[in-house]
Amino acid sequence: MIEARNVYKTFQTPDRREVKALVDFSTRIEKGEVVVIIGPSGSGKSTFLRCLNRLEDIDSGEILIDGVNIYDKKVDINKIREEIGMVFQLFNLFPHKTVLENVTLAQQVVRKRSKEEATKVARGLLEKVGILAKERGYPSQLSGGQQQRVAIARALAMHPKIMMFDEATSALDPEMIGEVLDVMKTLAREGMTMAVVTHEMGFAREVSDRVIFMDEGQIVEEGTAEHFFVNPTHERTKLFLSQIL
Amino acid sequence: MTFNRRSLITLGILAIITAGSYYFFTRRGITYIWHWESIPEMLFYKGAKSADDPAVRLRMGILMIGFVLTLKISVFAIFFAIIIGTVVGISRLSSEPVTRWISMAYVEVIRNTPLLVQIYIIYFFVGSLLRLSAFTAGTAALAIFAGAYVGEIVRAGIQSIHKGQMEAARSLGMTYAEAMRHIILPQAFKRIIPPLAGQFISLVKDSSLVSVVALADLMFQGQQAVARTYHAFEIYFTVAFLYLVMTFALSMATQYIERRLAISD
Repeated sequence: MIEARNVYKTFQTPDRREVKALVDFSTRIEKGEVVVIIGPSGSGKSTFLRCLNRLEDIDSGEILIDGVNIYDKKVDINKIREEIGMVFQLFNLFPHKTVLENVTLAQQVVRKRSKEEATKVARGLLEKVGILAKERGYPSQLSGGQQQRVAIARALAMHPKIMMFDEATSALDPEMIGEVLDVMKTLAREGMTMAVVTHEMGFAREVSDRVIFMDEGQIVEEGTAEHFFVNPTHERTKLFLSQIL
Repeated sequence: MTFNRRSLITLGILAIITAGSYYFFTRRGITYIWHWESIPEMLFYKGAKSADDPAVRLRMGILMIGFVLTLKISVFAIFFAIIIGTVVGISRLSSEPVTRWISMAYVEVIRNTPLLVQIYIIYFFVGSLLRLSAFTAGTAALAIFAGAYVGEIVRAGIQSIHKGQMEAARSLGMTYAEAMRHIILPQAFKRIIPPLAGQFISLVKDSSLVSVVALADLMFQGQQAVARTYHAFEIYFTVAFLYLVMTFALSMATQYIERRLAISD
């Protein structure tokens, strides 16, 4: 379903140094698969996720979604993005819109749904993430965990084929991580294709099909969550796991 | 609001300054016979206008006619300044260099030349070419002038919105234009209301400069009235007060809008 082929991506830092974010990066994510990407800060895991819906430009390589190279200039990227839900570390809810409007806006603007239809979809999803009671509130009136659940509902409202989570629980207070992970686990069990950048190994163990460990823009090691817990092979993997577990 | 000892000291100093200056001006001041009684009829009067219009009714006096024209010029100029400013502000951030350069050149040229010169150029040169009325030329000059400042304010406003907002909107499949319209600009406008208010207050006051192209605004009518009656002090105080009425109303209106938009904070 998703395939990255030999992707290279470098960043320029403000002081004009070059940082290699992705180096000859290739992987595949199949339909219905839940892939967890772990790795130290700066290893390129978020960059990879952001490349999957072209929030970043790449230097070379291809990213194919259902066989279409999304970096092809002829591709309408907005059509591709409609099919990819993204959840951000800092939620990025629209602060000037109510909770309900956050979930209905893109449905109306992008999917061209009527207001009634969009509201119906939104209410269903807000109920699913357990936050329907706050539909008239503004994001600033919600806790971090509630905001992130609204952000998940907002992405789901587009009925995406794949959901991406970019450190979705990293900015949350510890007591709120659980409520967001629960929503993500439910999605995984329902068969959603998911690419999840996280440090939550418990989540990886419970629902992931595959874990990718990245460092310096490359895949160091990949396998099931059990493999990472029981016998990680590479030294760098062992070191990293010892730091986060 | 709580008054304390500091408020008392401040009030005391203020009273001393007031008393002192009153003493100074009455003792050493000029001899001037005030004619405030001539002011009301410059605002409103009841009577016939001319032989052609002999009906006796309540009519606007000369200053009020000027007030209305200044109001009209200001409203049109603010409206177009917002449009120009929004376009310029977005263009300044365009990824396409020619658009960026043109908008930057516009801002720099307009901000770095005197408004009075611009009014003359637009009225005498552009106005003659395009056969513009004094009203159109004067209003256009003000809108173009304020548009450059509004453009910079809008640009700063857009840049102050966290880039995650654009990313979230784009990742939902919105185009750049849709994201701007629904997500970025509404938030940016809310944030730039205070500097915009300041800019528009300046515009109302700067509109007095269009009197130089014989546009009969408040300032122009005030000068006419002074030329006829020599009651310079009373008339200019009244003119100043009428400008204050407009700008203060604008201040209040923007504060009201600001409070209403603060609902989502």
